Amino acid sequence: MTAINRRTFVQLAGASAFAGTLGLPHVARAAGGKVVIIGGGPGGATTARYLKIANPDIDVTLIEPNELYHTCFMSNEVLGGERTIEQIQVGYDGLKKLGVNVVHDFATGIDGGAKTVATKGGQSFAFDRCVVAPGIDFQYTHEGITEADAGNVPHAWKAGEQTVILRKQLEAMEDGGLVAIVAPADPFRCPPGPYERASLIAGYLKEHKPKSKVIIIDPKEKFAKQGLFVGAWKKLYGFETDNSLIEWLPFAKVGGISKVDAATREITTDFETFKPAVLNYIPQQTAGKIAIDAGLAGDKGWCPVDKQTFESKNVAGVHVIGDAAIATAMPKSGYSANSQGKVTAAAIAAMLAGKEPVAPSYVNTCYSIAGKDYGFSVAAVYRYNAEKDVIAGVEGAGGLTPGDASAEQFKREVGYAHSWYNNIRKDSWG
Amino acid sequence: MKLKAILGSACILFLTGSGLAVGAELSASMLADTCNGCHGPDGSSYGPASPTIAGTNKDYMLETMQAFRDGKRPSTVMQRIAKGYSDDELKLIAAYFAEKPFGRLVDQATDPALVAKGKEIYDNLCEDCHEKDGRSAEDYPALAGQMMPYIENELRDLISGTRNLENNEALSSKERNKKQRNLKELVDTHGEEGIAAVVNFFGSQK
Repeated sequence: MTAINRRTFVQLAGASAFAGTLGLPHVARAAGGKVVIIGGGPGGATTARYLKIANPDIDVTLIEPNELYHTCFMSNEVLGGERTIEQIQVGYDGLKKLGVNVVHDFATGIDGGAKTVATKGGQSFAFDRCVVAPGIDFQYTHEGITEADAGNVPHAWKAGEQTVILRKQLEAMEDGGLVAIVAPADPFRCPPGPYERASLIAGYLKEHKPKSKVIIIDPKEKFAKQGLFVGAWKKLYGFETDNSLIEWLPFAKVGGISKVDAATREITTDFETFKPAVLNYIPQQTAGKIAIDAGLAGDKGWCPVDKQTFESKNVAGVHVIGDAAIATAMPKSGYSANSQGKVTAAAIAAMLAGKEPVAPSYVNTCYSIAGKDYGFSVAAVYRYNAEKDVIAGVEGAGGLTPGDASAEQFKREVGYAHSWYNNIRKDSWG
Repeated sequence: MKLKAILGSACILFLTGSGLAVGAELSASMLADTCNGCHGPDGSSYGPASPTIAGTNKDYMLETMQAFRDGKRPSTVMQRIAKGYSDDELKLIAAYFAEKPFGRLVDQATDPALVAKGKEIYDNLCEDCHEKDGRSAEDYPALAGQMMPYIENELRDLISGTRNLENNEALSSKERNKKQRNLKELVDTHGEEGIAAVVNFFGSQK
């Protein structure tokens, strides 16, 4: 059934007039246009899925090196022992069933002029629109440690093998051992993540190695959901008592890290030296390598984009979403990437059809689990603010679980956190 | 379908400080798709707890979102989210999900004895409103195949009064009285086992 009303007629007429005058190079393209997506995390997968839902005739290729993706979200439950590594794996069959061409290769370059993507495997893919969702890469900023040390000193900030290494180290550690988490400076993927991690490791220690302790060495003076975490830590882990299972060591207490010895795991700060049995060093972050190599990133390593379409401000025809993008108020989270994927898919589907994209609506809901029956969330509904050119939270909406929530509410949020996980997986990967 | 989607869109103008119209269309799917991250693709949940919102009567869904927004119905996260939308936007979202089928996608673990007892209780106390074993969504929400932890949470809130039916202006006083009488009878006659039985009965519906 084709329904042409006044509005679509004007759009179609406008589009052909435009194409006629400027001679857009889309004459020989696939019926619905060609989109190449780089990265099969929540951002890339959601874009692929929603493009196919918007218009099955769009030719969608997704380039992702791994056949199995490990979600970072809920990977802290693997570290705590509540979940197996298999339970955070997701494959690409759901996207293939929708007709997405999934290519397991590594994108090495984007030619914005020729509109092609090159891969390590020597392939080349032509596109009308390209979506780059590469997640993060690391910058090891302290003396004595590089990415080559990640086998001994895991970051576990990209889930998978790294998560397994850290979990095995926690299991092998003797009771009485010290676990140290080095938290990164802003901005980074999953702002509450290091503190959820400390919580769930403390939960494991409490049950299996009660003489042990986890410390967080933090360059920051405050952190996401701090009040809620501190409340949970006091309730569950004796925080701020002599027997606390968690200690938070911000810059004001221990100073900055001057040196890390990756072989012995010794950390030297301005004021103290720590010798943890297990060291989880979470490095500083930038947009994923391909985004930087393709010239999509700005000085600080993150990618400026049009806030309504996520089209790069540096390279026309290429969109950047998820952790790699500068999305003002939206945090670098799986839900943000999922939400941005939908906005981008709708914008691209409209652009390829010669229509004006609809006004974007974005949401982030981010759950943290601090222990058994103890979860909380932050949520926001965002709109584009044209005057300030920012993605801004709707005033009066969103915010945190109240600090004085009842035990029943914290318990319910765990159930809703686990539901969020199941549903966002299906919503992203099918 | 396509015609409906187009008609279901509203045109909203964004005005900048200089009074310049940026002009962009706000669509039902753009608004509603953001819900899927928690409630599942097209609003049908894979559980364990977050409810399916697909196939919900559009008036009921609008009232529910307004009640969350105004704090008349308790929630964990929903009040914070509902506050992000105007009535017009909520109407678009409600109409969008009303057209989607209520997916019963998860095989929830139920106890056959409790299911049987729940069916008896259902016939006596719930059937008048939640017709067709809870499948009907004509006037009230469908409960058949809804997520069991969610049904239990809401049932407990209704019994305790945390979710106060007196705040529900969409119900007549006769309806409110009847629901409160039936909830009281559920607890007085069947106790904790009765709550579990009703939850198991609805959860067992495929």
